[in-house]
Amino acid sequence: MKQIYRYCDGIDRRDFLRIGAVGLLGIELSLPALLERQARAAGASGPKRDVSVIWVFLKGGMSTIDTFDLKPDAPSDIRGEFKSIPTRIPGLHVSEHLPKVAGQMDKFSLVRSFGHRNADHGPADHYMLTGYHPIAGFNPNLKPNNQYPSFGSVIGHKLGSRSSVPPYVCLPILHASAGSAFLGPSAVPFVIEADPSAPSFSVPDLAPPMALDASRLAARRELLASVDRYQRAAEVRANSTARSVSVFGQRAFDLMTSPEAKKAFDIAEEPEKLRDEYGRHTLGQSCLMGRRLVEAGVRCVMIDHSNWDTHFDNFTIMKTQLLPKFDAAISTLFRDLADRGLLESTLVIISGEFGRTPRINKDAGRDHWSKCFTLAIGGGGIQGGRVVGTSDAWAQEPAENPYGPEDLAATLYHLLRIDPKGELRTPEGRPIALSNDGRIIRELV
Amino acid sequence: MKRNAGLALVLFATWLPLSQRSPLQAAQPRSFNFENDISPLLNRFGCNASSCHGKAEGQNGFKLSVFGYDPAADHKALTMESRGRRVFPAAPEQSLLLQKMSGAMPHGGGTRILPGTAEYEIVRDWIAAGAPFGQTSDPKVKEIEVNPTERVLSMKARQPLRVTAIYSDDRRADVTHLAQFQSNNEVVARVDEEGLISVADVPGQAAIMARYLSSVAVSQILVPRAETLGPFPTLPEFNFIDRLVDQKLKKLNIRPSELSEDAEFLRRVYLDIIGTLPTPTEARRFLMNPRVDRRARLVNELLERPEYADYWALKWADVLRVDRQVLGHKDAYAYYRWIRERIASNTPFDKMVRELITAEGPIDETPPANFYKLFSKPGEMASTLSQVFLGVRIACAECHHHPFDRWSQSDYYGMQAFFQPVSRKKGPVGEMLLVTGQPEARNPRTGEMIRPHPLGGVTPPTDTNADLRRSLAAWFTAAENPWFARNLANRLVAHFLGRGLVEPVDDLRATNPPSNPELLDALARHAVEAQFDVKSLIRTIAASRTYQLASHPNETNEPDEQNYSRALFKRQPAEVLLDAVCQTTGTGEKFPGVPAGYRAIQVWDSDVSHYFLKLFGRPVRKTACECERNAEASIAQVLHLLNSPQVHAKLTHEQGSVARLTGLNPDNGKLTEELYLTFYSRFPTAKERRSAEKYLTESGSDRRHAAEDLAWSMLNSIEFVFNH
Repeated sequence: MKQIYRYCDGIDRRDFLRIGAVGLLGIELSLPALLERQARAAGASGPKRDVSVIWVFLKGGMSTIDTFDLKPDAPSDIRGEFKSIPTRIPGLHVSEHLPKVAGQMDKFSLVRSFGHRNADHGPADHYMLTGYHPIAGFNPNLKPNNQYPSFGSVIGHKLGSRSSVPPYVCLPILHASAGSAFLGPSAVPFVIEADPSAPSFSVPDLAPPMALDASRLAARRELLASVDRYQRAAEVRANSTARSVSVFGQRAFDLMTSPEAKKAFDIAEEPEKLRDEYGRHTLGQSCLMGRRLVEAGVRCVMIDHSNWDTHFDNFTIMKTQLLPKFDAAISTLFRDLADRGLLESTLVIISGEFGRTPRINKDAGRDHWSKCFTLAIGGGGIQGGRVVGTSDAWAQEPAENPYGPEDLAATLYHLLRIDPKGELRTPEGRPIALSNDGRIIRELV
Repeated sequence: MKRNAGLALVLFATWLPLSQRSPLQAAQPRSFNFENDISPLLNRFGCNASSCHGKAEGQNGFKLSVFGYDPAADHKALTMESRGRRVFPAAPEQSLLLQKMSGAMPHGGGTRILPGTAEYEIVRDWIAAGAPFGQTSDPKVKEIEVNPTERVLSMKARQPLRVTAIYSDDRRADVTHLAQFQSNNEVVARVDEEGLISVADVPGQAAIMARYLSSVAVSQILVPRAETLGPFPTLPEFNFIDRLVDQKLKKLNIRPSELSEDAEFLRRVYLDIIGTLPTPTEARRFLMNPRVDRRARLVNELLERPEYADYWALKWADVLRVDRQVLGHKDAYAYYRWIRERIASNTPFDKMVRELITAEGPIDETPPANFYKLFSKPGEMASTLSQVFLGVRIACAECHHHPFDRWSQSDYYGMQAFFQPVSRKKGPVGEMLLVTGQPEARNPRTGEMIRPHPLGGVTPPTDTNADLRRSLAAWFTAAENPWFARNLANRLVAHFLGRGLVEPVDDLRATNPPSNPELLDALARHAVEAQFDVKSLIRTIAASRTYQLASHPNETNEPDEQNYSRALFKRQPAEVLLDAVCQTTGTGEKFPGVPAGYRAIQVWDSDVSHYFLKLFGRPVRKTACECERNAEASIAQVLHLLNSPQVHAKLTHEQGSVARLTGLNPDNGKLTEELYLTFYSRFPTAKERRSAEKYLTESGSDRRHAAEDLAWSMLNSIEFVFNH
């Protein structure tokens, strides 16, 4: 994908996205945690719907006044050049550049009174992806920079894995605030550091080197079992650290040989037509990959998509580059999930770290605006076609029912049957509330 | 969890005497004391927990001091703020406090206390009595006792605890139902919120902490193995460590493993002392050495190798935070070089610490002064030094009384005061670390100015011009300091024996007692006697039978990971494992921005971008916590060793050791032996030799591929990945 513009902080984030680059951060549980979770799962009961999450993160910050909350009556330096069009939902209008999304408007809803208090990229990202505003000492340049665990880490920590695939997967790169903070390595995401739209797409380290044929691989595996004298010996039984490596060894082989994982990662298996409909670009194929991962048992997929930081030439970039891709990817994702009966059990969240200024700047761009923007959210028990809250006349502030990242956290956990009032514990034993006083957005559920 | 109301009432009867009334007399006016009567309830029901109203910013406009360390502020918050709606003596039950607590009004924290319970009535009666704070002359909790203080319990046993508060007038009251409990070793024993201990089926020791208001006490539980064994075998004592370890094992009814074989010892001692595997030549030399004192000689040799300084500099650079991002390249490197030089020259540890604490002057000429550049607040200097060199965590006490220890804010600011005068200034000769001004710190809560005093110590005599850090450094490193030598001994034990006597290693406190206090004391005494000669301490530990035990468990010690009854498996640090992969495959590794030929343990900058090092848990040095070095396994690590093109390239490298050994050794038996010596530092067993030879022979034409397969299997085995 070609991008000619940069983030306002001067960093070209394209640098981070090297197609097929080696890189894979692990996720897995420590053995005791694993056993505990299995034990708990065995005794668990309650509502049947086991909800997964696909988060489409529009990094840089999407202008929602040009997409989901148009202000046709505002002065031209506010409303911009885009017109609104009707959607499937009577009275609900979106941007003229989202015609396909308009056709799927029954499947998701808009929170137009969403906002928070930080309009800097790093801290705002952290706020949106953890539900916690960063505190003193926050260093956005760390990767990960989490002071609090990301939603995906909490989900992985609380619910564990469903199958041989990890519970929390990031693609096509690790978002800097997608880390596990004090939940530690057992809750870090599994990162597919590769672009699913690249012809050579594959998951790093998952497949053995090409030079090895199948018979040699089989021989190697057998050889490893015989050479590894501690593997089934008292030494491994007696050492908890060795036990967990032994379990991970087994799980690594499971993942390598798992039909679910193999299937999920093999995006080429998808019909060409559907791949075209999602769009042959990073966002489209990442959304398709997200659906495949959820089907394979992943609980939280985090798609990090760049670059929505349109300080310059907002309208041209939006209508020629970003919105056509977005329109194809998002509309197809909702339709595809619904066609497969997965929408009820898949929560899709679409948002950047903030929105953009209602007032257009001298460069025909829009700058950062966190006080009010639109959160698009659907599936997983969310009612479609609703508009929650309203923004004021120029989308500067929420006019009614304001919501923020804490409320998103509470809503998300609630839908995943994780008690938002529950607590996490730091290694020092300090309790941390799962959602920082968030309210469940009742109008959505 | 809801508490059994009946039980609460029974306990209530025993608890009440502290307020000098019986429940039957509740109708009569009674004298209340907020701290004694109400604070414990706010604690017990979690109202003042750090996730609730105890948060720094409070909750929904209502803030309590966390764990009730500040009763005066809490009383004020309840009675004066929110326009007095929280307590309403004329109609106590209409008070916001009771309405919220009982769920009569919506409450984010849910229903905490039901009308009709004893606790509810106490709060109501206190409000009805005008919500008094009480008299300053009222007795206060002086300390608490938990009973039993020590007990040997059998596996699966249960044991209730009783917590007694002792007041300043020597009155005693049972406060079990209002106390909070925590076990320091849940593998051995757990405790529930009623103070009931449940023992698991693992022998060992646990300390159960009880907390009531600001007081803590501990109950020590020892769980021996159940079966009776014959008399404890007569085992040789190599030194005092073995005597004290055996003493404990006898109590636990556990037998230690056998002594390790030479090959096991060889690999272990190389990895532990120099973070480096023996080469096949070194391995062969040691394994063929008939001398009786070969183990001790090997230890001495290793301590003189440059890799010793590399490896231990890496360890200390982590907790002393050689952080290039903060210090800048030049200063971070100078700081690192200082650490490495002190280790290479075996500078007595106390001297090195004093140099660090008292560093001042031009930073270019005083590398340890860089330590102070890491912090913007003097309190962080104090708490980092305490954590690293005393193993005592005081950071909690910056904002409130340490919940599990005796440290108050006054202790924290007393320590901070030593560093208050530390500042930096750019001058003509570069940056200077200056120490000027009043060594006094302000407690932001009370506004009180606090004079410097070390933990549990007194303010040193002051001469206003003196740098009081000198007296603090002397106090840190004094033979009498209760933590300094213990901290050093404990960190070394954790390194060599795989687990500290105190875990986590930087959390020494009364409520987290050592698993073998006699051993920790003896090692600390030994450290003092050896004048903090670290190499000498290492020699002592490495000379013990305990260190030299086999990792193979026997039927009595398999579940024991606490008492040094066998050698524990240790994860290798990322750098050590990467070096091992490079050394065994005979290939180098290039690190960005580092000259070629450097090994990973020599890379002083933890920020050098390297996928393997990051994946295997290299710390980022953002805290002084040993726990930053992440020893946890992940699937991605396993996958990387199994499949990555990088590891594959090393195994198949034309100039690598697999290619070289295959070429040099046409005989498959000899090739097998060389591969075992290279990867495992030992000779193959007869069975292993046969099986490997068979694999090599049956490979037919492609012997090199077969050797790669063998090497790949070894590299991915538990035996290779761990230090055991």
